[in-house]
Amino acid sequence: MKSSNQVDLSIDFCGVTFINPFLLSSSPVSNSAEMVEAAYEAGWAGVAFKTLNSDRIPIIHPSPRMNSYHYGHKKLVGLQNVEQISDRPLKDNLVDFLYLKKKYPDRVLISSIMGFSNAEWEYLAKVSEDNGADMLELNFSCPHMCVEGSGHHVGKAFDLIEKFTTTVKNAVSIPVLAKMTPNITDMTEPALYAKRGGADGIAAINTVSGISKVGLNDLVPKPNVFGIGAISGTSGPAIKPIGLRFIAEMAQCEELNLPLSGMGGIETWIDALEYLLLGAGTIQVTTGIIHYGYRIVEDMIEGLSDFMVEKGFNSVSELVGKANANLKTTDHFELDRQGITEYNLDACIGCGQCVIICNDAAGQALDWDEKERRPHLIEDKCLSCMICSFVCPVDGLITFKEMPKEWNRRETRTMDASLEKELKFSPYKDIQVL
Amino acid sequence: MRDFDAFNTMNKGFDFSQAVAEADRCLLCHDAPCSKGCPADTKPGEFIRKFQLKNITGAIRTIKTNNILGGTCGVLCPTERLCEEACSAMLKSKEMPQGQDRAIRIGEIQRFLVEYSWERGYQVLKKPDQNQGKVAVVGSGPGGLSCAAELAQAGYQVTIFEARPEPGGVIRYGVAPFRFDQTFLKKELADIEALGVEFVCNHRIEGEKGAEKLLEDGFKAVFLAPGLWKAAELIPGQAPIEGLLSSVDYLESLRDGRLEQTATTFEGKTVAVIGGGAVAMDCAETAARIGAKDVYLVYRRSYLQMPAEEKEIQAALETGIHFLLLNQPLDYLTTADNIISGIKIARTQLGNPDNSGRRAPVEIAGSEWNLGVDIVIEAIGNQAVPESPNWYPGVKTDGKHLIQADPETGETSVKGIFAGGDIVRGPSLVVNAVRDGKVAAQAIQQYLNQ
Repeated sequence: MKSSNQVDLSIDFCGVTFINPFLLSSSPVSNSAEMVEAAYEAGWAGVAFKTLNSDRIPIIHPSPRMNSYHYGHKKLVGLQNVEQISDRPLKDNLVDFLYLKKKYPDRVLISSIMGFSNAEWEYLAKVSEDNGADMLELNFSCPHMCVEGSGHHVGKAFDLIEKFTTTVKNAVSIPVLAKMTPNITDMTEPALYAKRGGADGIAAINTVSGISKVGLNDLVPKPNVFGIGAISGTSGPAIKPIGLRFIAEMAQCEELNLPLSGMGGIETWIDALEYLLLGAGTIQVTTGIIHYGYRIVEDMIEGLSDFMVEKGFNSVSELVGKANANLKTTDHFELDRQGITEYNLDACIGCGQCVIICNDAAGQALDWDEKERRPHLIEDKCLSCMICSFVCPVDGLITFKEMPKEWNRRETRTMDASLEKELKFSPYKDIQVL
Repeated sequence: MRDFDAFNTMNKGFDFSQAVAEADRCLLCHDAPCSKGCPADTKPGEFIRKFQLKNITGAIRTIKTNNILGGTCGVLCPTERLCEEACSAMLKSKEMPQGQDRAIRIGEIQRFLVEYSWERGYQVLKKPDQNQGKVAVVGSGPGGLSCAAELAQAGYQVTIFEARPEPGGVIRYGVAPFRFDQTFLKKELADIEALGVEFVCNHRIEGEKGAEKLLEDGFKAVFLAPGLWKAAELIPGQAPIEGLLSSVDYLESLRDGRLEQTATTFEGKTVAVIGGGAVAMDCAETAARIGAKDVYLVYRRSYLQMPAEEKEIQAALETGIHFLLLNQPLDYLTTADNIISGIKIARTQLGNPDNSGRRAPVEIAGSEWNLGVDIVIEAIGNQAVPESPNWYPGVKTDGKHLIQADPETGETSVKGIFAGGDIVRGPSLVVNAVRDGKVAAQAIQQYLNQ
């Protein structure tokens, strides 16, 4: 077997070569060259630098800025964040651009920008290009800017997306990504506006507007900024399903047909791979770094490489969108094929959680042998919802098995058939509307 | 002056995050085996579920409602053979009968929740308004406290009579303070006092018809739980020898203000503790920790037959106690001034099981030897004080002066007098005494409502 460090993870994205698909997203983790340098040393292929501002309006971050969303003892399954765009002088950020490009020419520097007017978008795009940025990312999506008329307000006003993208494209020759907000129903629509404006690719998702916690003593949602909470950006593993959905929908949109930079809840190579398989060409990370540090890229690189060797993929681009052929709408399901759960009771430890939830949330298909502390499956009552397998602490104990075509599930019983004579009921007849 | 802070203080329990992490390991079993394993019916399956679902006050309420000494039991219970014994989190299956993981540390979670209630000032139990009448409890150990708390919550006005200066019985005067400390006990007692229970200390119920007289003095029922405060003797009727101590007197001296004096006596000395139970381990470990040079634990059977819990044995070993197993003490050697100088001991082999079910020690002929020591502590079992039957002459006792009471109700041969704890069972666990107190409290209410 080929050693994983011999695997080439490079990918061409919007005409720019990345040594691997893993980037820092524009956020606290990409705030300065000092930080980005450490990330590059750890193995990250590029950075969407913390969103530049033009010094026109002073940026002051609220304090405290973030709140953690824990699940049981598991820390940071979500993060709540009210940090603004870069509060550094534009000049300092640009000097850092020069430093990074000089020292790390093989790493990709994406300049994230946010303007408030056409002129300001144009200005920021230009200075970025002039000082070494390889690409631009237009921040149409920050959900918690303290300044009116910016961030996701733009991302929800689709004509502004098109207008500002056009402005930027006319000003620079480097590729331009439009970064979208997930706080809408359908992302393909604003993405198409960006495409009409000339965008070369789409980055998604920015943080999901949310509230992670309410202080129970002071009744202030968190982070509690001196007595005030605000709806702000939620990120982290909790939002991964939302990110995957938007990426897949855009990847499947033939009219859009643009490269995608995917993000939202990525911590491991598996998360990253799922984004790739659903259509992302590069992936971006913030919350995973906030939880574990830059070092996680080592495990992403090694994990993805080993996977590719094991499954015989030769390049990352072969993975991109590979799962989308199998992603269809629910009306495509073959409903005449049915199955049930299968229990390997030799591995059962007798906790009985399956019995509780099958009775309270499923087909009441499990009896409990109190003496042996074992479940007993009544096959023709099993709904194949599989929830028992989700709570079972033993891997592989409960599996799915397809049943023969002639097999039938028992009807769910009614409690008192004698009440039928009291029914006020006639079967529904479809009315033909001409 | 020596610093006894560490000696007098328990190790810290879980903090909030540790407790949450441990509770999250719980599988929230159907028909939870842990709940079936608790003699006092503290319902770990229920309080851990409540805790995992962030119903923390509810979790504390479950513990305290079912076991007023929930904190104490969390610290002192041999949980590995009670609630934790059948824990599903060990992942035992037919394929993997030895299991793959450890049980949930239920005792630690229980202790955490009770300590958290003190830290946060949660008063989960309420003192009822009604007054159902007076009940007397004799003895403020675990059995008495449990009965009193149960009755107080049902609206009875309960008075506990305690012979010693402070309440708690064996958990106040009979365990090593680093295993169970005074600060913790005081908080647990405060929860009971908050229910309106009255403590009368330095008040021994004794003399002719002592307990029965309480019924004449306006108490509608009496619960007897005086415990076992006589240490068994190696040689019954042994005349006093200087340096020969009983486990009861020795442990009490660590906890009744005489600690420094005892420590001075033990400093640099060679000590032998006779016995293999929990009390013997406590005596040996404390002796080493207060300054004895060498501590021998002399036990006539072998390791597996020791009644002490595994973790108590381990703690003693780690303190550096020398275990002399398969050695039967026969007699004491003294100086001309009647000061102990050694123990005459015979080597033993294990024979067939005796009445206790454990293999019996059989002395090896001609194997006698002498162990030179400065102090001996006898820790071979606690017994009822021989004169205790005189404190309740109408109440039937057995040959060992234990009270004969119905195990399901605590009823004795005298109407209105109930009993429980070690004075009925013989030496047993705190949690069993708690159970007896609860059961008797229910029987007392039934009796009074007749």
